[in-house]
Amino acid sequence: MAATPTPLEVRNIKKRFGDTEVLKGLSLEAQKGDVITLIGASGSGKSTFLRCMNLLEQPDDGELYVHGEQIRFKTTKHGREPADWKQVVQMRAKLSMVFQSFNLWAHMTLLENIIEAPIHVLGKPKKEAIEHAHSLLDRVGLSARANAYPAQMSGGQQQRGAIARALAMNPEVMLFDEPTSALDPELVGDVLKVMRDLANEGRTMVVVTHEMSFARDVSSKVIYLHQGLVEEAGMPDDVLGNPQSPRLKQFLAPKY
Amino acid sequence: MLDLQGYGPRLIEGAGVTVQLAVLSLILAIILGLLTASAKMSRNWFLRRTATVYTTVIRGVPDLVLMMLLFFGGQIGVNAISDMLYYNYEIDIYINFNAFAAGVLTIGFIFGAYMGETFRGAFMAVDNGQIEAGKAYGMSDALVFRRIRFPQMMRHALPGLSNNWMVLLKTTALVSVIGLTDMVRVAAEASRATHEPFVFLIPVAVAYLLIASVSEWIFARLQKRYDIGFGGQ
Repeated sequence: MAATPTPLEVRNIKKRFGDTEVLKGLSLEAQKGDVITLIGASGSGKSTFLRCMNLLEQPDDGELYVHGEQIRFKTTKHGREPADWKQVVQMRAKLSMVFQSFNLWAHMTLLENIIEAPIHVLGKPKKEAIEHAHSLLDRVGLSARANAYPAQMSGGQQQRGAIARALAMNPEVMLFDEPTSALDPELVGDVLKVMRDLANEGRTMVVVTHEMSFARDVSSKVIYLHQGLVEEAGMPDDVLGNPQSPRLKQFLAPKY
Repeated sequence: MLDLQGYGPRLIEGAGVTVQLAVLSLILAIILGLLTASAKMSRNWFLRRTATVYTTVIRGVPDLVLMMLLFFGGQIGVNAISDMLYYNYEIDIYINFNAFAAGVLTIGFIFGAYMGETFRGAFMAVDNGQIEAGKAYGMSDALVFRRIRFPQMMRHALPGLSNNWMVLLKTTALVSVIGLTDMVRVAAEASRATHEPFVFLIPVAVAYLLIASVSEWIFARLQKRYDIGFGGQ
């Protein structure tokens, strides 16, 4: 037995939208400190796969374990769904997600965004949550913007704020869904820097990204998806430096 | 100076009834409206169907007919229940189906249907990403509703809600038909007795206008509050 349970493990995830099978049996295991990047062309299923990990999408098949605990499913006339939504809610609190479009709550200030879930989901005392939030804001370089509303901030600031919101949960695993894809090129660097720091301090992360340099420098494992299947996976140097499959070669080619 | 010929205090009392009636009906209508909107957006077929029947029936039948139906029919229904209780269980209760309650129930019921549509549209206008973020951070559906969906929905609902309120306020005048002494009924009685309709009806019109203006001010403030963070305020 391992000393600590595996933070996140998914096995054989399948998902179809109508007649299209977008995930054809995908598995992933994130040990503590792993940074796993999912790459692939759009439509390869990488975002859907990530969203199945915290059940924002309901997989049609497959198993999900968070911190060693298996999520239970049942089959209803609407399809397969979690048997116990309470369990799902608790599971999600352990996995923070950072979205492509930031999704900071628009009616709250940045500070309110960060303390919201720690107070109302984790039951943290307000004072403590605020102190923690200020230290996180400091960390992502947004101390001065604590009382700004998301609409008053640049995309890069919003995304760094969203990362602070994710960190405030002390998550077991952080899920990043193309965190830099909606940003202007000059703002990408700041966000990536924050993410690199997180990786270096041993955070467990699963990252869907198009940033190949991030994938190469930071990840412990790269998974290349093609049409809902793993085409190639392994150490970044192998997968990105010496791709085997013609498709991956082609996918990487235009970037160099 | 305006001579109300001793009807002044009764008119003011009547105005009080109007305001109470309107506010209580509004509260009921908001609750029913939220329930209706949720039912219409539910994936449960029966709930959706029930809500649709409710809004169709209410919006298709005149307010006055509904009010009389509920008031006269309501008393018959209540009597039947208390008779049944007495004969079968010897429980002796008599409930007087009072006009005020009937008024609140009817108006609340009618406007619940309109509010339902207002809220449904407003809920659908909330960006799904905002809701997903709530879910992704471990919020239960109830918490997502209270902390995210409701406050963000209100911004879209307020213009319609304020409009419904204005119509509701004026609809309360109908309760004089079922014997409730709101300010319209007092004014009508006074006009008949004194043959001076303008003396009583103009102050009533002004009173409605006054209530409407105060509400507009309140709604404008609410709008400002719920617009926070969305820019353009």
